[in-house]
Amino acid sequence: MSTDLPQAPPSAAVTAITDPHPVPAGNPTGDDAQTLSEQSVLGRHASRVQRVGASLPFDDPRHLQAHHWLVDEAWLLDAQAYEDWLELITEDVHYLMPVRVTTALGAGYDTARGMAHFDEDKYSLSRRVARFLTEHAWTEDPPSRLRHHLSNVRTFATDDADHLVVESATLLFRNRGDVREGSFISAGREDLLRLVDGHWKLARRVILVDDSVMRMQNLAIFL
Amino acid sequence: MADQTTVLADVRRGMIPAHVYNDREIFELEKERVFSRAWVFVGHESEIAQPGDYVVRRVLEDSFILTRDEQGEVRAHFNMCLHRGMQVCRAEVGNASHFRCPYHGWSYRNDGRIVGLPFHKDAYGGEAGFQRKGQRLLPAPSLATYNGMIFLSMDPDAPPLEEFLGDFRFYLDYYTKQSASGIELRGPQRWRVKANWKIGAENFAGDMYHTPQTHTSVVEIGLFREPKAEKRKDGATYWAGAGGGTTYKLPDGDLDERLRYVGYPQEMVDRMKEQFTDDQLKVIGDDGFMISAASIYPNLSFVHNWPRVGESDDVLPFISIRQWQPISEDETEVLSWFAVDAEAPEEFKALSYKAYLMCFGSTGMFEQDDVENWVSLTNTAAGSMARRLLLNSRMGILEDDEPVVPPLGPDAFHGPGEARTGYSEHNQRALLNRWADDLEKPPVQAATLTVGGPGAGAQDAAGRTSPSANDAELPGGAVAQA
Ligand code: FES
Ligand SMILES: [Fe+2]
Repeated sequence: MSTDLPQAPPSAAVTAITDPHPVPAGNPTGDDAQTLSEQSVLGRHASRVQRVGASLPFDDPRHLQAHHWLVDEAWLLDAQAYEDWLELITEDVHYLMPVRVTTALGAGYDTARGMAHFDEDKYSLSRRVARFLTEHAWTEDPPSRLRHHLSNVRTFATDDADHLVVESATLLFRNRGDVREGSFISAGREDLLRLVDGHWKLARRVILVDDSVMRMQNLAIFL
Repeated sequence: MADQTTVLADVRRGMIPAHVYNDREIFELEKERVFSRAWVFVGHESEIAQPGDYVVRRVLEDSFILTRDEQGEVRAHFNMCLHRGMQVCRAEVGNASHFRCPYHGWSYRNDGRIVGLPFHKDAYGGEAGFQRKGQRLLPAPSLATYNGMIFLSMDPDAPPLEEFLGDFRFYLDYYTKQSASGIELRGPQRWRVKANWKIGAENFAGDMYHTPQTHTSVVEIGLFREPKAEKRKDGATYWAGAGGGTTYKLPDGDLDERLRYVGYPQEMVDRMKEQFTDDQLKVIGDDGFMISAASIYPNLSFVHNWPRVGESDDVLPFISIRQWQPISEDETEVLSWFAVDAEAPEEFKALSYKAYLMCFGSTGMFEQDDVENWVSLTNTAAGSMARRLLLNSRMGILEDDEPVVPPLGPDAFHGPGEARTGYSEHNQRALLNRWADDLEKPPVQAATLTVGGPGAGAQDAAGRTSPSANDAELPGGAVAQA
């Protein structure tokens, strides 16, 4: 960036997703795990491509493509067009949403060890989507009214021209019926996008939710 | 407070006044009479495996630091500073040899004893004014463990935990003691649902009847082969001691074949054969029943299922332990843990965890539809019409209270308690009858405790004591009070 303002330090939440940090003792995935995806129980198959350098300028074509991809995706998720959404996902995807825990400042971790809300591969995501397509997924019949508000998009290059790392914030509002007020989920996300046959696809997503106790009746949604 | 005599009498004859699922006065009574005396699950020893490890857990509004002290002993300290009542520990998990209160800096060893009191001499005149020696964070009134599962009771005179659990221990072992090492507990996922806490407890205790309807979608996507209606009907439903649950009928085969049918690898089967009693093995091998969901009164539930976890047809079993923690008459915090035998192969642990995530917990495909039902039920129970409606909870008994299906004889079912096949609500009634018994009993009178006041350590005229007695030496962290 060309300004002479001091470079803002990366936020703690962002750092926690990709930057190396101490692995909590007793983590079931071993000592060499660094990122949350690596530390997760089911993330062994996941791509390990990481960001390189500072965020790309907002007029960089790669940023524009990534941002475009995220807005399109948010629309699909709002519309519960989950079959189309699955088409945007690679076969080796790792879709992870750790459980956040409240820990002391110096603890070195703020996610539960060996537990997540989502720790998914393509098979488990496809089962979840298939279930919504049956006529018997009662929790979404009648369907919720969903809105994924997307912001704070930053795109990073990687060592591989076919991969981009994209960060974003998402605020999901979900409302059902007419008795209860709607509920929110606020989360930061770090995605790995991969160029496959000329289309960007999601190869890895880590969702760092801002609640330790979810205030939603279930997570029959995607973030 | 309204007289609940009629409500309880209706419950006892299997007719449930619908408003008990969303009623402020009933909830106040439950706080006073159910959760003030029952043994309530707070965690498992594997969650605090090392000295200094702690987790913070609640019983209703009361926060406890559950920790393993430097001697390896499990303790539960009321999470309130003895000085002016600040919450001592504000993290929910960690490792600490000491807890220092952020307000004025009193500090406590992880066994609860005070070690630091700033300006003790200047502020209090030293030991002469405030006897620091022997003072400790207030221990839970009663604390005990079974198979590493840690329970608290707010009643200092609670019956022993094993007595409370009674014959349900036979079934608890299937979930928590598949080898000599017992389970590792991971999680919990926590989330709040706008549903009354009793609904989940009743459902897991014995609602085999909802499975084919509520969980149709999970069968349709090929995840689960069991919930077909006839499969549920053939399973045995048992009630024993403080809890009860449902089972599935397994296809023909011997013990090993039947355990492998639900996905246990032979080495785990071999360990179960060493660990379980003859009767525990016979329920599976001879009688052909495999545990599924269960509840212990008042608010702890279990589930054991065996879904597919990948493209192959193989299934894999998982265990979840969950607590329906009451927040109010229409809100419950669900704490859902994944449990796995500590000696299981690593690959099994990972796939069992995957099975858990797909089926239960905050994202689980079974749980999603359960919760939707329970929230709607709770909403509907709030109004005046629900006060006019007695729900029929008499499935499995005739008008004269005779059972539709007789209990299984000792040759057909080798477990303790009463078991029978077929659809029924025997267990929901058993759970709510216990609840009615508690609501009828006068509340537990809790003793008041003072901290280092005049005459500390002695019992005063009102029967109150200070926590400065030599309680740090008492075993198990449990301290008799007043
Ligand atoms: S309240 Fe804890 S030191 Fe004062
Ligand atoms: Fe269910």
